[in-house]
Amino acid sequence: MFTLPQKESRAPATCPGPTSIQDLDRNYGDDLERECSRKPDRKLPEYCGASGPTAMLSSDSSCLSSRGRVIKWFWDSAEEGYRTYHMDEYDEDKNPSGIINLGTSENKLCFDLLSRRLSQSDMLRVEPSLLQYPDWRGHLFLREEVARFLSFYCKSPNPLKPDNVVVLNGCASLFSALATVLCEAGAFLIPAPYYGAITQHVYLYGNVRLVCVYLDSEVTGLDTRPFQLTVEKLELALQRANSEGVKVKGLILINPHNPLGDIYSPGELRDYLEFAKRHELHVMVDEVYMLSVFEKPTAYRSVLSLEGLPDPQRTHVMWATSKDFGMSGLRFGTLYTENRDVATAVASLCRYHGLSGLVQYQMAQLLQDHDWINQVYLPENHARLKAAHAYVAGELRALGIPFLSRGAGFFIWVDLRKFLPEATFKAEMLLWRRFLDNKVLLSCGQTFECKEPGWFRLVFSDKAHRLRLGMQRVRQVLEGKSQVAEEPSSYQTQKPRSQHRMEES
Amino acid sequence: MSHPSDTVHLPWGQVGSQGLGSQGVHTQPMEMMLHLKQAIEKHMRQLATRHQQQDLVPEEKRPYQAPGEQEALLGNLMYQLVNLLQSGATDGLGLQPSGPSLDVKGDAGGGQWQWAQSSRQPAQPGYQLNDPEVTFVSQHLSRRGIDISASYRASFRDYKMYQGDKYHEDENTLGFINLGLSENKLCLDLMTERLSQSDMNVIEDVLLQYPDWSGQPFLREEVARFLTCYCKVPAQLDPENVVVLNGCSSVFSTLAMVLCDPGEAFLTPTPFYGGFVFSSGLYSKIELIPVHLDSESTDANPCPFQLTVDKLERALLESTLAGKKVRGLILINPQNPLGDVYSRDLLEECLGFAKRYNLHVIIDEIYMLSVFDESVTFHSVLSIESLPDPNRTHVIWGTSKDFGISGFRFGVLYTHNKEVVSAVSSFGYLHGISGIAQYKLCRLLQDQEWIDTVYLPTYRSRLQKAHRYITKKLKALGIPFLNRGSGLYIWINLQVYLDPCTFEEELLLHHRFLDNKLMLSRGKTYTCKEPGWFRIVFADKPLRLKQAMHRFYQVLEEQKQRLRVKQLESTSRE
Repeated sequence: MFTLPQKESRAPATCPGPTSIQDLDRNYGDDLERECSRKPDRKLPEYCGASGPTAMLSSDSSCLSSRGRVIKWFWDSAEEGYRTYHMDEYDEDKNPSGIINLGTSENKLCFDLLSRRLSQSDMLRVEPSLLQYPDWRGHLFLREEVARFLSFYCKSPNPLKPDNVVVLNGCASLFSALATVLCEAGAFLIPAPYYGAITQHVYLYGNVRLVCVYLDSEVTGLDTRPFQLTVEKLELALQRANSEGVKVKGLILINPHNPLGDIYSPGELRDYLEFAKRHELHVMVDEVYMLSVFEKPTAYRSVLSLEGLPDPQRTHVMWATSKDFGMSGLRFGTLYTENRDVATAVASLCRYHGLSGLVQYQMAQLLQDHDWINQVYLPENHARLKAAHAYVAGELRALGIPFLSRGAGFFIWVDLRKFLPEATFKAEMLLWRRFLDNKVLLSCGQTFECKEPGWFRLVFSDKAHRLRLGMQRVRQVLEGKSQVAEEPSSYQTQKPRSQHRMEES
Repeated sequence: MSHPSDTVHLPWGQVGSQGLGSQGVHTQPMEMMLHLKQAIEKHMRQLATRHQQQDLVPEEKRPYQAPGEQEALLGNLMYQLVNLLQSGATDGLGLQPSGPSLDVKGDAGGGQWQWAQSSRQPAQPGYQLNDPEVTFVSQHLSRRGIDISASYRASFRDYKMYQGDKYHEDENTLGFINLGLSENKLCLDLMTERLSQSDMNVIEDVLLQYPDWSGQPFLREEVARFLTCYCKVPAQLDPENVVVLNGCSSVFSTLAMVLCDPGEAFLTPTPFYGGFVFSSGLYSKIELIPVHLDSESTDANPCPFQLTVDKLERALLESTLAGKKVRGLILINPQNPLGDVYSRDLLEECLGFAKRYNLHVIIDEIYMLSVFDESVTFHSVLSIESLPDPNRTHVIWGTSKDFGISGFRFGVLYTHNKEVVSAVSSFGYLHGISGIAQYKLCRLLQDQEWIDTVYLPTYRSRLQKAHRYITKKLKALGIPFLNRGSGLYIWINLQVYLDPCTFEEELLLHHRFLDNKLMLSRGKTYTCKEPGWFRIVFADKPLRLKQAMHRFYQVLEEQKQRLRVKQLESTSRE
């Protein structure tokens, strides 16, 4: 282990170091300081582990701008586990002792279907117009197809319009672009736990902060389920932010929810939208898992299906093929908004977030093939998700581990609080690292801004043999926890990478 | 790259077949609008400086940005007004500048009105701002959102019109011919054929999964090999120093973010590619300080627009004295728009200069394979045996120009600086390339045999031919130009067609080209300090070039006529 200079170690995981931030942006420095002091228990080394901060602090940072150093910090720290995994990926034949990734939310169950579909001859067309500068909002043929697709699968009361569609290279870019054009010197509300990468997406270019609406695992009062989002909680969080001088410009909703797997009912959705309308907040609804509802898919309602949206000019819907079509590497995301100014403003940024014309063509072909989607892909995908989910849920029950599971998404939100010697994020991180040492990568609650230590997200959308091995490794750690817990030197697996990186810099 | 330009107003009504040659009837209201716009801008600038001065005092109490927002709104309103005027949505107001009389000239059959409508609809799909609510709606955007929209609308208006109304030899002979956008259209046949081959169509699971955000390792390795070969690098380049993003604009944008804080500056020999202005204003908010080069040849300036270290030194000194924090230098080699190819000596001098002052050098070599004059040798900065300051030298390349696949969205950063690699990779999420596209690019770059024996020879000979054709035409018209043997464009001097020689007149001439459905890009876009220079792209099919040069000739003839009348008028007044 190493120690860090005191002032650097104060930085919370999701908002970068206070000193650098203040250099970076005088306007927001104060807000950040406040945010930091609100979460004093979040310390940099806990979060980013062995490799990040020393590499950053010890090297010659004079080459980077102050904001560049903060930006680099994200790279060095935020995805440590992800990169460790990439260096030592499990492979049945070549690397059977490699890391099994149950941390990254990817659907690896339907690659066979997808690769067959994407290899069909209709996908292989190359036309000169696809090789030239495009309409930056996305080729018209694709926007038309997206509008048709969303009209059908979101069950919109009226056909959606291609002019309200903007196509970008993934939802990350969309978050970034929306943050940039909707918010300045302000923040978005987001119910926590949430998909943590959004922090980086809205920060890098947008310099927008997230204000958490913390949800509890305990069911009390009006809540009907753990981690229930209510309008009261939204109101409270907004009030608090306002009282601290943070200007809140919007609300981010993820539906189906990541990492909870929650699905909002139409009534709930409407309540949240009404709340936003009352306070003139933009609502960004991330529906990237909308077709991955494998238990009672009909229960799911897209925001686009609602008759008479409370504030259509401030409601912006995102969708992508990353999850629902298991193609996170394809980098295709789309925005639907009735607000033409928002569409134009986002399109203005598309020069920087465009995707290849050939890929746009393939996406249009894919989305228009409703027969394949309805008759082949979705039934098979749902059946496989269901089976994988049933297996992992069964394993967890056998281990006596409580979990939340609502039949949507690729993950189960697992309660490992009883395996922590103390209820701290440090203990959570240690447990996370023990999993990694035992060659299974999970995501810990802290990366989702969960306020209770001990929750983990476990991804089940993987092939049966990997899943079995992964669960076996999880079980080993949990059952043998007492021995490993005594042994803090379990940084072995990290060392090669971090040393390597430090030497490089 | 698509070229940003000023607010350019093309009246859509000029689409009648006869109308091609006719003078823009809208020019007058447009001129008025322009003047109004300039007046308001000037006023805003004054306001802004006043605000800045005021802001110096009460820094902490600025919760209301009302004045700023008002300015932005006002600016936005202006743009919309201009839009309104040009979109023809002003019928009801009696402002319709192109009366139906003009449209009658069209011979498209059927109702003229319908024809005119349908011809303009594709030009601005969905973005006709004739919605009375726009002003209200735009209050939904943040101030920078408004700025971004406005600057985009201003910069890419021509581009949007072009996208909706492209010239086609059979289907749309009255469409725009775009010699303004630097796009290589000479080898689309070769590229289409190559990309259709079966080796391109491989789907593997890694291609569909989350990638390494600095680029798939197989692609970074291929890029390193490719650059080692084509940049004639003494030692093998390291794939770990490569970051691939979706386009060179993205690479530049991320570099500006991680090397510079807002308000800090880069020196930029000028004229230079206008996309940098757009990029630097968008996200990174850095300043580009022009190092103006002169067209006139003098003892100190043996060659028109010659870059010298003296000029860099002077510009740096002046900027520093003015209190600016200069962090680096931007070089484009081969240069855009001049077509200059820097000698090895000049390159090394520039790098030495940068090292003396601890400046970063961003060097954009996106045209490196587009040197078609055999007597000219391109020296990549990567070919230099020992770089003066490798940690501050960052090279950009992409396939958009050299392979004519701008729609592929692929840009490369090569830097020895690991910190910069990491910091730029943080943006991988936001500028990622599809795995499928990464695979195709890898196959393309790998196929050195095809590149060397098929692609490059054909490409260069077509460039030569197109260049010969255009220069011949220019000579016949007596138009001075720079003849430098690289790039997709020629830098031409149309000063004799401006009277007086001002940027206003330059803009008007630009409009006259647009009225005739010809897009060029004007010097102002490249921050050129002398009015009257234009960049004309020649990397297009012979047929289109011929048609374009015909339109070009017509506009200049009319312009000559106009100037003659003007002179006669003024002499007769005397």
